[in-house]
Amino acid sequence: MRLKIVLILIAFIATTAAYATKINVVTTTADLKSITEFIGKDKVDVSSIATGYQNPHFVDPKPSYIIKLSKADMFVTVGLDLETGWSPQLLSSSRNPNIQKGSNGYVDASVGVGLLQVPSVINRGEGDIHIYGNPHYWLDPVNGKQIAKNICDGLEKISPENKTFFEENLKAFDTKIDQKLKEWSIKMAPYKGVKIIAYHNEWCYFEQRFGLVIVDFMEPKPGIPPTPSQLVKIISEVKSNTIKVIISSPYFTTSSSDVVSKQTGAKTIVLGTSVGAFDNIKDYFDLFDYNIDKLIQGFN
Amino acid sequence: MKYLIHAVLITACFSSISANVFSQTDSIAKPDSVLLKQIEKQLGSSQPVPQPVQVRTAPSTLPDISVIGDFQASYKNYVKRNLDAGINEAELSLQSVVDPYARADFFFTVGKDPVTGKFNFDLEEGYLTTLSLPAHLQLKVGKFRSALGRINPVHPHALPFISLPNAYSNYFGEGINDEGASVSWLIPNSLFYQELVVQFTDGPIDNPSFSRSVGNTYFELAHLKNFFDLSANATLELGFSGMTGSNFFNLRTNIAAMDLTYKWKPVQFNTYQSFTWQSEVYFSNANISKENIVNSFGMYSFINFQFSKRMFFTGMYSFSNKPYSASTRENSYSATIGWYATEFQKIEIEGKTTSSNMEKEQNQILLRWIFVIGTHGAHQY
Repeated sequence: MRLKIVLILIAFIATTAAYATKINVVTTTADLKSITEFIGKDKVDVSSIATGYQNPHFVDPKPSYIIKLSKADMFVTVGLDLETGWSPQLLSSSRNPNIQKGSNGYVDASVGVGLLQVPSVINRGEGDIHIYGNPHYWLDPVNGKQIAKNICDGLEKISPENKTFFEENLKAFDTKIDQKLKEWSIKMAPYKGVKIIAYHNEWCYFEQRFGLVIVDFMEPKPGIPPTPSQLVKIISEVKSNTIKVIISSPYFTTSSSDVVSKQTGAKTIVLGTSVGAFDNIKDYFDLFDYNIDKLIQGFN
Repeated sequence: MKYLIHAVLITACFSSISANVFSQTDSIAKPDSVLLKQIEKQLGSSQPVPQPVQVRTAPSTLPDISVIGDFQASYKNYVKRNLDAGINEAELSLQSVVDPYARADFFFTVGKDPVTGKFNFDLEEGYLTTLSLPAHLQLKVGKFRSALGRINPVHPHALPFISLPNAYSNYFGEGINDEGASVSWLIPNSLFYQELVVQFTDGPIDNPSFSRSVGNTYFELAHLKNFFDLSANATLELGFSGMTGSNFFNLRTNIAAMDLTYKWKPVQFNTYQSFTWQSEVYFSNANISKENIVNSFGMYSFINFQFSKRMFFTGMYSFSNKPYSASTRENSYSATIGWYATEFQKIEIEGKTTSSNMEKEQNQILLRWIFVIGTHGAHQY
């Protein structure tokens, strides 16, 4: 009996010690979590603040997130003011100097990413515009490689002894992106130039990568709910361009796009904007598998 | 208490609503071999599609700057001038990180004197907060709103009602906001969030319960915040506050307070629907002479329901004595409808009635239009 207890204790201590040596990473979104897990494998313990089916602009800064951040070795953010409404407050309250902006544990995943829609004039009259450019850059899988590189650099700063391990995983990630990109591009090739409508302006990187053409948005301006006059305009655009598909995200209601669907016959397709948006989107690669298959289904 | 339990049960029903998850199998298009070759050729090139240019807005060391306008109009049946309208207050905020060790927040207000109608410039808050103290400690020094309950730390423009609850204004006026130091400790509790705040300040000016300190007496406050995630969509916060300070009679007043807040916000559709039930109780023990001690009580409770992306309803009840009069019994009811155009603009209209055993019934209708320009930091959850 005593031996059993001693063995259990040893096992417990060993498990705890192994867990304790892991790098504790908190990411703002589930996509960054997925990529961090790919690069860090068993050397990291990652949690995400936002869920995959949540609007990343509007996450409530619950105090419980402060607990996570207070213990984190590394913080990974999408940046470009996507999380400006909630992450700065959480970081300030975390009392954790290791993850504050400028520290080794602060990783801005957008560094080095080529940005789209960088405004030359900033005016709130245009709606919720982002001053640094459109922040939904992870929806281009090629940008995933730059995100992974930034995360890899961050992990190397925290754990330089595992540099080779992280870099091998980064290579594997890049290779997998290249392979999958070939597959995704082949699938999407017949639909190059196909016109669609989107609910919110968050698909420009995806649109450019796969050659789609977003004609208009259900929101008259970013962040402004669809108005009757905008719906009339959209209905006319759908009819004149023979548009078959309206894409939306899990955190927007489909009531207004349903109106357009009823009037025009165009289908509303809810795509995943992040890992975890739907049950079968379990990692960053699944996100594109799901979205591309869903789109093709809609086009056909 | 029975009503509180009922309310908890009703609101708990909302928390059972979970996020929708969809799944669907898909068909895969088969490309022909010519197409495949063409795509492979494209993928083989270094630039498969035109790459966006890496452009960033020029960095700036300027702090986040915002101005908040607060236009109000009112009808009150208990004042000489029944109808009134105008800018109630303008708030200028400057917020930034100072260096890797601290951040600074300044809030200046230009408020209208209700008697003279003149605008006065004032420092509402101005404080430095450390970012890197050990042992999960955080120090704040300067002028700040005290960590008392749920209403006091929040700027009035961010509250979902216009008129403050009678219990709160009877005991704390427009709020406790003065100069000193505050230490907060994130208690290492792995089960739920716990934060202890201890503050020493000079004591507020023009406050119904407390006075500016004289000599070596200070206004002392401690607040313990307990926060629980009941589910992904629901949270509960339970707070305890205790404070002591000089009063109008140069003696001491002690107040114990408790706050309870339940929030339901479906994670997936959190911009469309939410529900908050918030209550606070205050127990005051005011020494008005060596022989006379006034023990009094005040409480408020409100629900805030968001029934569409832009529409909010708040209903509130408040009961209150007064700090130096336990025999005063005030009951007030208010209802507020809010229309939030965006995160930067909202319009609220409120009806409120107050009955008291000491005064004539007071009725008022208030309208408030809040708007913000610039970059304003997020408010507490």
